[in-house]
Amino acid sequence: MGKSRVGVIRFPGTNCDRDVFEAVEQSGAEAVWLWHGDQFDFKGFAALILPGGFSYGDYLRSGALAARAVAMQSVREAASHGTPILGICNGFQILCESGLLPGALSRNHGLRFIDAWVDLKKAGGKTTFGAALKVGDGIRIPIAHADGRYIIAEENLKGLRDNNQVWLEYVDNPNGSIANIAGVTNAAGNVAGLMPHPERAYHEWMGGSDGRKLLEIWK
Amino acid sequence: MAKEFTFGVTVMPRKEVLDTQGRAVEETLKREGEPVVSARVGRYVELKVTGTTVKEAEATAQKISSGLLANTLIETFELKLL
Amino acid sequence: MGQDTRTNDELDAKLKHYRLNRDEHKRIAGLLGREPQGVEWALFSAMWSEHCSYKSSRVHLKGIFNKSPRVLQSFGENAGVVDLGDGERVAFKIESHNHPSFIEPYQGAATGVGGILRDIFTMGARPVAVADYLCFGRPEADRMEKIVDGVVRGIGGYGNPVGVPTITGQTEFDSSYDKNVLCNAMAVGLFRPGEKVFLSKAKGVGNLVVYAGAKTGRDGVHGASMASESFGQDSEKKRPTIQIGDPFFEKLLIEACLEVMKQDLVVAIQDMGAAGLTSSSFEMASKGGVGFELHLDRVPLRDSSLTPEDILLSESQERMLMVVEPSKLKDVEKVFSHWGLDAVAIGEVVAKKTMTLLWKGEKLTEIDPELLTEHAPMYERPFEAWQPMHRVSDVSKVVSKATTGGKLTADAIEAQLLSSLSSPQGTSREFIYRQYDGHVGASTAADCHESVGALRLKDSGRGLGVVLGCRPQMMRLDAEAGGADAVAFPAIELAAKGFEALAVTDCLNFGNPERLPVMSSFVASLKGMNAVCRTLEAPIISGNVSFYNETEGRNITPTPSTGVVGIRPSVNAIPKSAFSRKGDKVYLLRWKLFTNNGVLGELAQDERRAFGDLTSEGALQSLKAAVETLRRLTCDDTGLVSSSRVVGKFGLAYALARMCLSGGSNGGRAGGLGLRVKAQALSGLKWSAQDTRDVAELLFSENSYEVVLASREDAAAFKSRVAAVAIEAKVASPEIVELGEVANQANGEQMLSFEAGEGLPRQLDIPVKRLRETYEAGWQKAFRLK
Repeated sequence: MGKSRVGVIRFPGTNCDRDVFEAVEQSGAEAVWLWHGDQFDFKGFAALILPGGFSYGDYLRSGALAARAVAMQSVREAASHGTPILGICNGFQILCESGLLPGALSRNHGLRFIDAWVDLKKAGGKTTFGAALKVGDGIRIPIAHADGRYIIAEENLKGLRDNNQVWLEYVDNPNGSIANIAGVTNAAGNVAGLMPHPERAYHEWMGGSDGRKLLEIWK
Repeated sequence: MAKEFTFGVTVMPRKEVLDTQGRAVEETLKREGEPVVSARVGRYVELKVTGTTVKEAEATAQKISSGLLANTLIETFELKLL
Repeated sequence: MGQDTRTNDELDAKLKHYRLNRDEHKRIAGLLGREPQGVEWALFSAMWSEHCSYKSSRVHLKGIFNKSPRVLQSFGENAGVVDLGDGERVAFKIESHNHPSFIEPYQGAATGVGGILRDIFTMGARPVAVADYLCFGRPEADRMEKIVDGVVRGIGGYGNPVGVPTITGQTEFDSSYDKNVLCNAMAVGLFRPGEKVFLSKAKGVGNLVVYAGAKTGRDGVHGASMASESFGQDSEKKRPTIQIGDPFFEKLLIEACLEVMKQDLVVAIQDMGAAGLTSSSFEMASKGGVGFELHLDRVPLRDSSLTPEDILLSESQERMLMVVEPSKLKDVEKVFSHWGLDAVAIGEVVAKKTMTLLWKGEKLTEIDPELLTEHAPMYERPFEAWQPMHRVSDVSKVVSKATTGGKLTADAIEAQLLSSLSSPQGTSREFIYRQYDGHVGASTAADCHESVGALRLKDSGRGLGVVLGCRPQMMRLDAEAGGADAVAFPAIELAAKGFEALAVTDCLNFGNPERLPVMSSFVASLKGMNAVCRTLEAPIISGNVSFYNETEGRNITPTPSTGVVGIRPSVNAIPKSAFSRKGDKVYLLRWKLFTNNGVLGELAQDERRAFGDLTSEGALQSLKAAVETLRRLTCDDTGLVSSSRVVGKFGLAYALARMCLSGGSNGGRAGGLGLRVKAQALSGLKWSAQDTRDVAELLFSENSYEVVLASREDAAAFKSRVAAVAIEAKVASPEIVELGEVANQANGEQMLSFEAGEGLPRQLDIPVKRLRETYEAGWQKAFRLK
């Protein structure tokens, strides 16, 4: 059997694309480039990843312009067919802006960009990403964002919890996210997004390797 | 007697400076085939200030707009009494 | 008579507008054999500005040590290139954006980062790291809070989106920068095996001159000549249109440019930086010994009201100029359009060494490019031989009354240490570093929280170290020693982390070169830098000169900032800058060359005093010994040395306090490890039997060079290892002082303690928690910025 094929989608301004591509390959899968301007056949892919960065410079609202990209039509199709999809940082923002994930990401409460390592706790979620982690397990990986404050209406937050859609929580909330939320999934559980960057915690020399626990799912 | 006055402050990038946001929005819309000629992105602030007269309130709003709401090196602003 | 007066007045007005003087006018007329006409005025104004022509510094820059077997490209291109072996090469350069950052801090700093990145990818190297050297005025100075905030936001606001990590930085505060801040940005780019270095030399008659990237606007017209003038009170009013940077556009431009280079579609390429299209086109043609025929009306415009002169001088950002073979234009257009960018042929290369500028078919000028690039005046500004004013012949005179107020008590030392940690010079820079993405690229092995930034090279697995240098307090003390230190200190920092310093880039920020003391300090510091570069075989391969950092008659501290790049066999086990392993023994390695009463003496307005020197043959050899010894002790994967820190501002006391604060964005919440400094160690700090300085003075004096190392080896084993390493390197062994052991638990918490003994009446215990709180609170004490 061949390696799993994982699509990595590049938008204009995506800047963690190569980092994610390499992390996927180190995790034993075959990484494949997908371009924002092209539709693609999702059937050939074991998973899709929308990497972080500043698509369209984060202009207007982070993720807003990228959510309208041609490739997102294929992402939608894949989502409805149950393909595992992961949005990291700006990828998370794009998935929220395109309606594939609930809620929105707005400016950090301190109004500044934050680069820091953070402690996270798995809160739930059915996503295959990090499926080996048990609820309550802790991991430590970096964040790097200005618009990472997760917001959702109070009444929808309850629904999110009831549906087991809260995936990751911050131990020390760095950005003012509601209920310390760092990552969520869709109702079906196949689409997930998180603000921290697992691909930046892949080796001890980076400062830690917990990111593998989220991405290393193809070995 | 001090009264409250509300001003709408529209801040726009100066015509001669590059509007990076507007450029990205415009080009995205054009690529999607929308009949868009141009897009410029600024911001809008509703400012409630106190003053004894409209004139005084307007002077305050003017000062705040040029001092903080707009960076007059690269932006212009317009005040409108609401 | 009346006629002449009017002509003279008109001429003077014209010269003033174009920022040229009468001698330069005469020179231009001589070269042309006639009076300059039309756009020629603008061309000469831009190209003969200090900024573009280096007319005051060129005569001195000729003597720079700039070659080694590793240097593939030195001055003369957009950046220098160094061979790392194994097919890997790096391009790097540091550049100033001082005046724009003072006028509009956010955009000034942002476009500074954008400009230096273009210098790197123009060469074909993918930018992999940014580093920033910032000098601000006192926090209470007018507008300073806004400037600090804007500059830091601007660097992050550009560097973060463009996807290049900021991995190291240096931030200084002094009143000499109150009205003239310094914003120097360094960028490092990597060529992976097989990737080609591209140059700006135009070749091939009939090839097309292609304009790529953003459209031209009115941004920064006359920017280059403005950067070559002192600041007056009216500077804020007479500024050109502010240049706006767009990191999103730059990111697209990087990808498109690297792609056309990968496909080998371009013959030559140069970014449009200072003096925009003028300097890029004239330099490309001049280097190639060819001419261009340029149709200015084909330049894509953002604003249709621009005149040919505006187009020639515009400093709109994110633009490149390329020479392309006609058959490859289609492919070039295809790559750029894939990234949503324009690439437009605006002219062609011609055999005759003449630049022909056309506007809607009309010829504006025909001119030999070399008149502008090679025949600018070269000034030999007057300078004096350097006399170190603060040098004393007796080490005991290097005292700082501030340390103890004359009373030697443990309390005074504690108070002094805490006030150093909370001063603007000594406080945490976390506010700054947190706003920079230090980890995009997934290659960062040591970030801004470490004293040396480090990247892992993907192909060879080796470590690339980047560190900045120049301590303004040393420059204020002695320009020659300060210049030497600007290279030596970062080189020692690299060595203490196991990196071999390979090459240097410099940004020579000085005041008005027409003033004797400024020019004298320029010459002296260059001499100091050169001596150290030569000794360490680390040549200066790129950089820029920023003169006229003078506002309302006041000149900045001469500030030759540097960026030094080094290589290490791997990124495993790089010593941390804070204590990281309990039980390790802590040693102070000393090469006693130069000592002074430091930042503390300066803050207390004490008389500056220094003993020793850094540029004599003996001092230079000791410097080499320090670098060779330290590197050999720390460059392997055994992790023998767990932590290292070079003693700098506020002396040993401050360095030890910082080492107790387990740092780094990934430092965890452990809170740090303490140290109990032994009584014998304190009495061993004196330089000689004649040294009458007391313990407090010794703890805060700034000595070149001392390095704190923490090793798992005990004293006997460590000393014999150091001796063996020194023999291997054929250098003299350093003096070694045993300070104590990592981790010092007392009363349930970690402490930094100094044992009672000779000169210290009682033991001093400072909780690490208190050190941390003081260190972190200092920023908020100085600025209201959160």
